[in-house]
Amino acid sequence: MSSPIRIYVQGIDTMNRFIGRIVMYGIFVLMGVLLYSSFMKTFFISPNWSLEMAQFIMVAYYLMGGPYSMQEGAHVRMDLLYDGWSDRTRAMVDVVTVLMLGFYLIILLYGGLSSTGYALKYGEESYSSWAPQMAPIKIVMCIGIFLMILQALSSLLKNIAKLQGEPLT
Amino acid sequence: MSYEVIALLMFSSMMLMLLTGQRVFGAIGFVAVVASLALWGDGGSELAFSAAMKLMKWFPLITLPLFIFMGYMLSESGIAEDLYKAMHVWMGGLRGGLAIGTIGLMVIISAMNGLSVAGMAIGATIALPELLRRGYDKIMVTGVVQAGSSLGILVPPSVVLILYGMIARQPVTKLWLAGVFPGLMLAGMFVIYIAVRCHFQPHLGPALPKEERDMPLGAKLALLRAGILPFGIFFCMTGLFLLGVTSLVESSAFGAASAMIAAVIKGRMNRVLLETTVRKTLAISCMFMWIILAALCFGAVFDGLGAVRSIKTLFVEDLGLSAWEVLLLMQLTYIVMGMFLDDTAMLVIVAPLFIPVAKALGFDLVWYGVLYTITCQIAYMTPPFGYNLFLMRAMAPPEIGLRDIYRSVVPFVAIMAFGLLVVMAYPQIALWLPEYYYAHK
Repeated sequence: MSSPIRIYVQGIDTMNRFIGRIVMYGIFVLMGVLLYSSFMKTFFISPNWSLEMAQFIMVAYYLMGGPYSMQEGAHVRMDLLYDGWSDRTRAMVDVVTVLMLGFYLIILLYGGLSSTGYALKYGEESYSSWAPQMAPIKIVMCIGIFLMILQALSSLLKNIAKLQGEPLT
Repeated sequence: MSYEVIALLMFSSMMLMLLTGQRVFGAIGFVAVVASLALWGDGGSELAFSAAMKLMKWFPLITLPLFIFMGYMLSESGIAEDLYKAMHVWMGGLRGGLAIGTIGLMVIISAMNGLSVAGMAIGATIALPELLRRGYDKIMVTGVVQAGSSLGILVPPSVVLILYGMIARQPVTKLWLAGVFPGLMLAGMFVIYIAVRCHFQPHLGPALPKEERDMPLGAKLALLRAGILPFGIFFCMTGLFLLGVTSLVESSAFGAASAMIAAVIKGRMNRVLLETTVRKTLAISCMFMWIILAALCFGAVFDGLGAVRSIKTLFVEDLGLSAWEVLLLMQLTYIVMGMFLDDTAMLVIVAPLFIPVAKALGFDLVWYGVLYTITCQIAYMTPPFGYNLFLMRAMAPPEIGLRDIYRSVVPFVAIMAFGLLVVMAYPQIALWLPEYYYAHK
């Protein structure tokens, strides 16, 4: 395998691991926002932004953290047949099906970009009393999906390398 | 091509894609976007992302990562060891007593957490090794842990009922309360099964020798203190929610925080534990969220095809079935599909099709939610695809093989199917508590 590909795979894996390991602590931010909200609601006035903020955190959490969890092999597979195959067969099948997964992600990103474009152009706001701008969270979502595409590509390259008998990892 | 054929084609291609062993979310998402592009061209390209926006607006799903975090925290907090020791001393004298105690432990865990993950982790790491050491039959105890932990999604709090509540537009409070008695009933049935089986076949679950559990009554009672922390956690979470102090999502944050505090009290909290828990939480949350994301897109295509209407027409008019026959058929379909397909994805794709049918036939949707959850429990345990099976395989001690795991679920699946029929025949088992609660509120 030529070295630019090796650099790409290692670079993407390192970057996504780094991002994922930061994002994973977002669970505490989520907890904090909700506990604060409950505290304010009980003793003072309930803040009008907390629930929506929690939604944004949750979305950012799973979209930005997705690539890292993919690296870790957390996304389940149906292993009725998969389990019985040799490493080579798995890699061969994966090369084809990862492209399909990538296609889904690309369509996801395509829809995301158009939706973000709309939000930016018309200054779309959420229908709530807090009425935050929608563009920032949509941009974050698109970045998360894009990182997922990069990770899927890295996984494809790893499988190709395995088939050529020069595994990258 | 008629819409029915397209729908059928989508289902079978999803099945094929899943068989290739690609990640579940990718398999479902791919079929969904190809279908939407083929049907509606460029207009269909937005469907995948609008599912992400819909997922964001389903705010009760915020509880999912918090419940997962809580589950892992609980299983590492040391609470379970204490509870297990108490069960040991109090129940050990019976034939099969430790297995019965394990079911009791699972009910307590289920009352603290809304998923089966916590029960599985505790069952596989704490209960299983101990049961095996005591000479319990490995197939039976493997089944006990899987069946017991599946109560996590029926006994409140329950994430599956939250998901169902969003789809069916039913209040979560009602659904949770409706799950209490069916959950306890199932637990009771498991206990009876174990007790009867071990009575006739004592080698499956030998009683503990007396000297091992003999201690002064005072010490025995002191062991019950193990129940204080779990009760505190239950109160912080479900208690405050039912009292109306916290909202649903807030209560899950309370639950997560209280599990952390419990770990601190038990002296288990350290950096490694925190890091592992947080990392596992991200992994499992991402897995579920991406699957739900793809399944929502798939469901949206179905919706656009008018699948709800065709299913109703098929069941009621073409097949000429009565309301009860339709109900049975729907549960059966779900169980069979749940065997092969991803259980969460099934819930998101199939529930929106079935719920309007159940509603049109005049069934109570809260009761139907309980039926759905029991079916889901069965789907969690039936091979080849089930989350409890996966978790079991990942966590079980090495002497328990895949075949043992598959064989172990058989009697328990039969019991659950029986329980499902009982709740079908006597809806009051589920509906009595929510009705009582709302009448006396």
